[in-house]
Amino acid sequence: MALLELSGLTKRFGSFTALDNVSLTVESGEVHCLLGENGAGKSTLCNLIFGVHKPDAGVISLAGETFHPAGPAEALQKGIVMVHQHFSLVPNMTVAENLMLGRSGPKLEPRIVIDRMAELAAEYDLRIDPHVRIEDLSVGERQRVEIIKCLLGDPRLLVLDEPTAVLQPDEIDALLAICRQLVDRGKAVLLVTHKLGEIKRIADRTTVLRQGKVVETVKMEGADMQSLVRSMVGRDVRSPGSVLAATIGIENQNEADSKVVSMLSQDRTVEPALQLSHLTYNDLDGVTRIDDINLKVMPGEIVGIAGVEGNGQTELGLILAGLLQQASGSISAGGKNLDGCSPEEITAAGVGIVPEDRHAVACIKEMSVEENLFLGSISQFTKFGFVNRPAMRLAARELMREFDVRASGPEIPMSGLSGGNQQKAVLARELTLDPLIFLLAAQPTRGLDVGAIEAVYSRIRAASESGLGVLLISSELEELIAVSDRIAVIYRGKLVGELSSDSFSRESIGAMMSGHEHV
Amino acid sequence: MSKSEFAVKSSSLSWPDGLKGAIPLQVVVPVVATIGALLIGLLIIAITGGSVSEAVEAFWDGMAGSSFNIGSSLNRAISLGLVGLGFIFANRANLTNVGGEGQIAIGGMFATAMALHGAGSLPFGLAFIVPLFVGALAGGCWGALAGVLKAKRNTNEVISTLLLSFIALPLVYWSVESFHLLRKPISDVSSLPESPEIPDATKLPLLFPADGSSPLHIGLPLAIVAVIVVWFVLRHTALGLKLRAVGLNEMASRRAGLRASWLIILAMGVSGALGGLGGAIMILGQQYYLTSDFSSGYGFDGLVVGLLSRGSAVGVVIGALLFGFLRSGSINMEITAHIPSAVVLICQGLIVIAIAGSAILMNRKPNS
Repeated sequence: MALLELSGLTKRFGSFTALDNVSLTVESGEVHCLLGENGAGKSTLCNLIFGVHKPDAGVISLAGETFHPAGPAEALQKGIVMVHQHFSLVPNMTVAENLMLGRSGPKLEPRIVIDRMAELAAEYDLRIDPHVRIEDLSVGERQRVEIIKCLLGDPRLLVLDEPTAVLQPDEIDALLAICRQLVDRGKAVLLVTHKLGEIKRIADRTTVLRQGKVVETVKMEGADMQSLVRSMVGRDVRSPGSVLAATIGIENQNEADSKVVSMLSQDRTVEPALQLSHLTYNDLDGVTRIDDINLKVMPGEIVGIAGVEGNGQTELGLILAGLLQQASGSISAGGKNLDGCSPEEITAAGVGIVPEDRHAVACIKEMSVEENLFLGSISQFTKFGFVNRPAMRLAARELMREFDVRASGPEIPMSGLSGGNQQKAVLARELTLDPLIFLLAAQPTRGLDVGAIEAVYSRIRAASESGLGVLLISSELEELIAVSDRIAVIYRGKLVGELSSDSFSRESIGAMMSGHEHV
Repeated sequence: MSKSEFAVKSSSLSWPDGLKGAIPLQVVVPVVATIGALLIGLLIIAITGGSVSEAVEAFWDGMAGSSFNIGSSLNRAISLGLVGLGFIFANRANLTNVGGEGQIAIGGMFATAMALHGAGSLPFGLAFIVPLFVGALAGGCWGALAGVLKAKRNTNEVISTLLLSFIALPLVYWSVESFHLLRKPISDVSSLPESPEIPDATKLPLLFPADGSSPLHIGLPLAIVAVIVVWFVLRHTALGLKLRAVGLNEMASRRAGLRASWLIILAMGVSGALGGLGGAIMILGQQYYLTSDFSSGYGFDGLVVGLLSRGSAVGVVIGALLFGFLRSGSINMEITAHIPSAVVLICQGLIVIAIAGSAILMNRKPNS
């Protein structure tokens, strides 16, 4: 008998059907992977199992009994635990204190938690100091705390929602090893991911979701990875480009795309598209977030910044956009000094920015697509202060067609677009700046589906081939390797090493990302 | 990914239908709230032993019983409406100007000073146009002050505009207390702390001078023009678009290249200028001399008018008329039926709570 059985689950949000007649089973002792692109319905499915949402139709049964949790508390009680993408830990409390939160039964004392942690450490090699504060832990360690929290009550089913998105390569290995140990001890693991590479390494069975429907459930023994790609993406990908291959985490079957470094970048007389010298930034608490960064991006070159999130990438992006002003050192673009310039002056100097935070910085989601596209250049449609809407709409349509921004029209609010189309619109706005000599793309593919990721990178590549210097900040190492001409690694605000495309290796970059200097 | 798949996604994510359904409610709720609040007011009068019929009669008479009363009510609505317009203008940039009272006071004071010292001898309409302009300018500076604080020091404009009002009101008091400023010289009939009457040439021309009984002045067409201009600017100009952008997301607006600081100062300046114009019109239109407390809550009522209009210029007009007529009615009710005007203030409060409360309910998102 299956531990968890879902049959005919349907969930609608308004007119949108997030899950459509989904059936699957999870057995004890197996790692069951749920594979799908962003928006395929994976998270909704998890939320149904965990009692966050209620299904509109269908039945969930747990070990043969009908199970419709009224809320997460009931799910927990029945032995279902979940590690969410975003951790729920209190940073300034210790590990043991965090583990006690929400479990304040009459019997639970710190001692009990600490003893149980020792047990788990012995059983699963999940070692962590109970007395250290969460804020002093790395992301991988925090996730380990989340997993320990789940295991305290000896659960039957562990649901992990995109657990590897925040991890470094070696931490991913450790996590997958833990999953294997858990199932070896008879527990069930439901692992949600969009990375085929991980599935290949860990899954016993995989269910592919696309647009809220189950495409297939396959046993991984002897499974054809190509057919899984087809199921997930919904089209035949016979020769995935290097970007697509990197995105979904499979080896590229073809010759690596030869990276053509523009002749411009070899020419030393050309001004760099971007030059940072001794860039340093201390935040309000006096913590050094950016530490003496020196970097040159030549025209036609794509330079990647690799690093685990939270090592200064966000601050670097904001400084380049002119939204953080208190940095020392100097920034210049195309030979023009930009120190202390306001965002509009930076834009006018030919710097395009695809900001990391799409909702807070890149666009105004309440305003229409056309308004977002032309907000900074509205004067071209303005006569005596009045906006010529028809002209603006026409130009917006043109730009949307060119950049393949799919929306029912330029007048609908930005929030009505999918993440991928929002990003394409932002890219359209930034890449049509005039002049444009440098583009910063900060986490440009975060939360996008595979098709959109390909589109974003092919735009960026095309722009760089025509002489644009690009700085690409991303925590997706595989994507950086696929796209960049050079990769610099950022660790605690410092650039700790730099590699050129002929010497990229996942291992050496991974090592630098965790603070080891390049050797 | 095929085209149709994208189509499904985008259509599912845009839910304009929910908004469309709310539009009639925006009309229904204020009407019901107003009628309900007035009924409660009558109930209060009845319970406390007042004569309901006498109260209603006096109230109606004060509002619209004669052409004089209608004119007075409209004159009141003009200033309330201008302050309300100022509120929605700043609010378009997500700024909450609660300093209408102070901006009225400063505008009225400078308009009086201009009318008494210099403008009276100007030819044609300039005798009253110049003081109106100076009043608006002064109110604008007063408002822009809060804008500068907001843009440069990120000072909360709710607090700064309120505190600036607490400075503006004593300033007016000081000016009418001091003989070397605006105080009228002590004469045999009066030594009240007030300014002398402004010269006739600086008084706003009446709309119906032949009638003689209506105090309605050219402030009315002026205010109508202001409504149209504000509506047009907010709705159809690049400036309106930019203000909205800054209000919705300052960070993203700056990234897109808008001069957010300048827009914030401008929004507060225009907002204050409309308040200042309202104050100038109060003095030049009907009162004709400055007293220390001439603003008497118009700024706060105007703020409420702006709040209730939910950013719509038409809403401001309706709100200003409602509050203007209510104020006239309540004053007459107090004088002739001896029922405290506080009853009407209670009704106003109830209207505000009902409309604001319903806004919260309407904006609450349905729980999945």
